[in-house]
Amino acid sequence: MSRHVPRTGVRRYVNVVNLGGLLIAVCATLPLVWMASASLKGPGEISATPPSLLPAHPTLDNYGTAFFRNGIGQYFLNSVVVAGLSTALILSLAFFAGYALARLPLRGRGAVMTALLMLSVFPPIALLVPLFLMERQVGLLNSYPGLVIPYVALNLPFAIWIMRNYLSGIPGELEEAALVDGAGPLRTAVTVILPLARPGLFTAGVFSFTATWSEFLLALTFNGSDDRRTVSVGIALFTSQYQVPYGVIFAGAMVATVPIAVLVLIFRRSVVSGMTTGAVKG
Amino acid sequence: MSSALQSKKAQAPSNGADGGTRADASQRFSRTTPRGSAARRRARTGWLFASPALLVVAAVTVFPVIFSLVLSFCEVRLEYGGLRLGSPTLGHYEALLTHAEWYRALAFTLGFTIVSVLVELILGTLIALVLERLGAARGWILALLLLPWALINVIAAQLWSYLFNSTYGAVSWLCEQVLGCHPDILGQPVPAMAAMVAVDVWKTTPFVAIVVLAGLMLVPGDVYEAAEIDGANAWTTFWKVTLPQLRPVVSIAVLFRILQAFGIFDLPFVLTQGGPGTATQSVAILGHRLLFQNLDFGGGAAVAVTTAAMVMGCCLLFLRVFRAHVDEEGRA
Repeated sequence: MSRHVPRTGVRRYVNVVNLGGLLIAVCATLPLVWMASASLKGPGEISATPPSLLPAHPTLDNYGTAFFRNGIGQYFLNSVVVAGLSTALILSLAFFAGYALARLPLRGRGAVMTALLMLSVFPPIALLVPLFLMERQVGLLNSYPGLVIPYVALNLPFAIWIMRNYLSGIPGELEEAALVDGAGPLRTAVTVILPLARPGLFTAGVFSFTATWSEFLLALTFNGSDDRRTVSVGIALFTSQYQVPYGVIFAGAMVATVPIAVLVLIFRRSVVSGMTTGAVKG
Repeated sequence: MSSALQSKKAQAPSNGADGGTRADASQRFSRTTPRGSAARRRARTGWLFASPALLVVAAVTVFPVIFSLVLSFCEVRLEYGGLRLGSPTLGHYEALLTHAEWYRALAFTLGFTIVSVLVELILGTLIALVLERLGAARGWILALLLLPWALINVIAAQLWSYLFNSTYGAVSWLCEQVLGCHPDILGQPVPAMAAMVAVDVWKTTPFVAIVVLAGLMLVPGDVYEAAEIDGANAWTTFWKVTLPQLRPVVSIAVLFRILQAFGIFDLPFVLTQGGPGTATQSVAILGHRLLFQNLDFGGGAAVAVTTAAMVMGCCLLFLRVFRAHVDEEGRA
């Protein structure tokens, strides 16, 4: 912003604001650098004192153990399936619901939006017992749908909010033109609105994928068996007989973190607009 | 000062709620289809489009809450084929309300929620103020801030349990260098609670900072100019001009954070396992334990229902206060 008097020379860069910025960046990333470095340390070095930031003898042994002994590959695959499937379903349902709530004359829209906002922050622990018993009754425990169904339902409210806010900002003329041309509501939604909704879908998609990729409580409770664990459950339950195998845990953690970090960095504009959706546009 | 501020206030409702344009759009539609049957058809289409999503949400949230309610008021027996519901009873709630452990869990969860959200709010605002003044580096730092936010909770917990480790953790080592003592951070109740808050603050302050930054960007420059002309210093400007403008933006973010923190499970589960003792046992951890260690389904349901009730109450209260505030702004 242009309220600041520009300075010249070195003083231009060395000031409280830039130092603050540097401090923020270091605080945010130093623990992550530590994790990446620890994943490359051997068993002796990882528990050495004083601790060192960079590994003296980097090794990929931990990654080997994570893949071949602890099955992080299977957990990763499970997470991809569950998070991918959930996100796809969330987006297709949220698009139509968001369109209806933004554009079509629904009575009680305000009440629906308020209810959705409340449900989007509903703590899963309140649903854990009944959902577990229901899934047990119908045999959905330790299956992909057993996680996908609750994930879709729990992340839909926020996705609908994002879609509705985004779609209500699109000008109405195109839609009117399509209706005048005799296109039905479904064709109008799919051929006219859907292409325009892409940025909103990106935002809702990144949020849904990140949330389902990270979810722990339901994944631990419903899909505890080894072949259906997601990465977060797998990493929480990595143990060995004598001490906590941090090297292997962090190798697995890097495998689980790098894709989501890349995704979030690519779509960082979408992420930021999603974070502020309820607050700024609501 | 006052005149400029009031003009900004008058703008606030129109840019805060884009409901105006939305209403226009739907009105334009109903005008193009003047017959009542066409309008009704559009409404039916609307419900047709919205209902699949709403039904899925209702099936997985509303029904379980009712089921939970029933379960918590019944005697529950676990048998081979499944659950057997017995006669109605208040026993689960009685057990809960007379059990010191539930109060301890509730106290910890409330304390954790209040302290961590408060710290995140203050720190997040400070960070946002720094980011607002940064030049070209802002985009980079924003991107870096997204990394802890996107990190899986469980991984953050594992990472910090390593850093807090009493023999070789980097934080413990740092404590020894600076303070001269070697604390067992996760082994004592108060340090363990503080550690939990610290991890949560590290992970979610970026979210608060980004929301506050978005709010700061919405404050128009002429408001600051007016304050400057009136001779307000930076401190007064912040308290009297910036903060009031931020309130509506920040309140929703705070509601999100409060409810998220209230349901905390991943962090204590991995970082401390609720310990030492039950010092960091959150309500969610207690509910999970009742269910899976004690197989006490009625008790677990009672925890679920009381948690849901508290969350709903908090949410309604918050929305009511927030709405009232928005109306006030609109009328001013």
